[in-house]
Amino acid sequence: MTLPRIRMTGARPWPPRVTSHTRTFWEALSEGRLTTTRGRTSGRLTFPPKPFCPYDWGRDVEWVELSGRGALYSQTVIHAVPAAFQAEAPIRNGIVDLDEGLRVAARILGEPSLDAAMECVVLDYDDGPLFAFRAAS
Amino acid sequence: MSLRKVAIVGGAATPNGKFQTPAGEPIQTVEHEVLAPMVIDAMAAAGLPKESVDAISLALCRPYTLQKYFATFMANYMRMPLKGGIMEVLGNGMTGGLAFDQAVNAVAIGHADVALALGVNFESAASSADHMMGSMRAVGDIDFHSIFGFSPIAWYAMDAVRYMHEHGVPRAELAGIAVKDRRHAALNPIAQFKKPLTLEEVLAARPIVEPLGLFEVPPRGDGACCLVVATEDVAKETGRPYVLVRSRGFFHEGAHQINEVPNDMTAFIAAREASSKAYAAAGVTAADLDLAELYAPCTIVQALVSEAMDLVPRGQAGRAATDGETALGGRLPICTSGGCLSRGHPSYITGLLTIFELWEQLTHRAGERQVKDAALAAASCELGNYNAALIHILEAKA
Repeated sequence: MTLPRIRMTGARPWPPRVTSHTRTFWEALSEGRLTTTRGRTSGRLTFPPKPFCPYDWGRDVEWVELSGRGALYSQTVIHAVPAAFQAEAPIRNGIVDLDEGLRVAARILGEPSLDAAMECVVLDYDDGPLFAFRAAS
Repeated sequence: MSLRKVAIVGGAATPNGKFQTPAGEPIQTVEHEVLAPMVIDAMAAAGLPKESVDAISLALCRPYTLQKYFATFMANYMRMPLKGGIMEVLGNGMTGGLAFDQAVNAVAIGHADVALALGVNFESAASSADHMMGSMRAVGDIDFHSIFGFSPIAWYAMDAVRYMHEHGVPRAELAGIAVKDRRHAALNPIAQFKKPLTLEEVLAARPIVEPLGLFEVPPRGDGACCLVVATEDVAKETGRPYVLVRSRGFFHEGAHQINEVPNDMTAFIAAREASSKAYAAAGVTAADLDLAELYAPCTIVQALVSEAMDLVPRGQAGRAATDGETALGGRLPICTSGGCLSRGHPSYITGLLTIFELWEQLTHRAGERQVKDAALAAASCELGNYNAALIHILEAKA
């Protein structure tokens, strides 16, 4: 399944650092897939992805694709933003509980209501992707 | 090894405000010249000679403070040889609380008979937008949260949105906490804001992080504070009223801002766990408290920590503030100093100001805001989105 994409202008205001591990996440996101890691011994998902499992500290992990679907747990509109984000202010950020049982924080598009069904979208900035959520279509 | 009983025997704090000078001004206000008089005043209040100080525990200064190794710098500046220890501590919003905690520990385990917990927070010359470029990196994963521009109080705003949704609490009820705190601050000589504030003004203020407006979020400011802690034996020898540290509770939920496993974010698990431990260790319940001074940078935070600590029932903190139940003169006054919102929030020393307020209240020197016959109180501080909480139970001793 490939996530919807939205073309953004300019570079990401605060780009993430990419490591030899998280590179897999960001490259998959560029291709329209939201992914994370699961510990093979614990069987548990974690987010953000990690090169070990935080539940049993096992180093044997596998990459899995997430549905990108979930429910909006909370949100806010930030008017007073950190300096790097002034061009985007005000910004709506929120917390989404994914169907797989993971809680993530992200940009929110539109004006969804709490508990609304949400879907992940890829924001294509000039220098790379970010993920965001909007009300599911 | 048995631990010794520890008392708070002195304190002093500057009025909170904006006194950091911008770089380039010909005459500068500097941290050590502001903090040193607080040390002298706090020791005078304790009635102890300067030679009695064995250890100092400093709340780390903000990155804007140019003088590094500030604790040892102060030890030299004030000629304080120390046989017990010297350290600078950091724990985000818990920084001041940890400075106090470490001074208490130094006395409890016998490294010091008298220890200072002190700090000076200078930040007001940095604009909020620039300041948040640093603080956003303290309140989230910088590669997976900060990328979206979450400011520190954005997390609290999301607490508010969820709490109002689940408990059917209108914003005006939460806003009543800001009105109550301003009334308290009007009676506090060190408060940053004393002008009366109406509910209408709170609700009409410009939005900062929705649904919270300007008066529901913390002001920026500078301040300095020094507390003197000592063994209970030393405290008794002074012949002055003192405050006994009855117990301490701590908990970190192992999560940073949000738990990756969906849970009730507004339950403030750490405050619940830490307060339960502190009450049990002191052999008291929340109902035994005469007042509570809470680390609560926003109205919603005061609501959630009050409820997590069992001071008011869930969903009722805003109503309790509006009805006067948690105001001075009410059943259980909360944030008699005016709290972060109106006393001020020079955040690395806020945890010290919390204890300072309770020392004033429990030694009955709080003037017009004195809680009558105050004998038992709780203090809280936190980091993150109350992902960690540190709670102390304090008792008045004549």
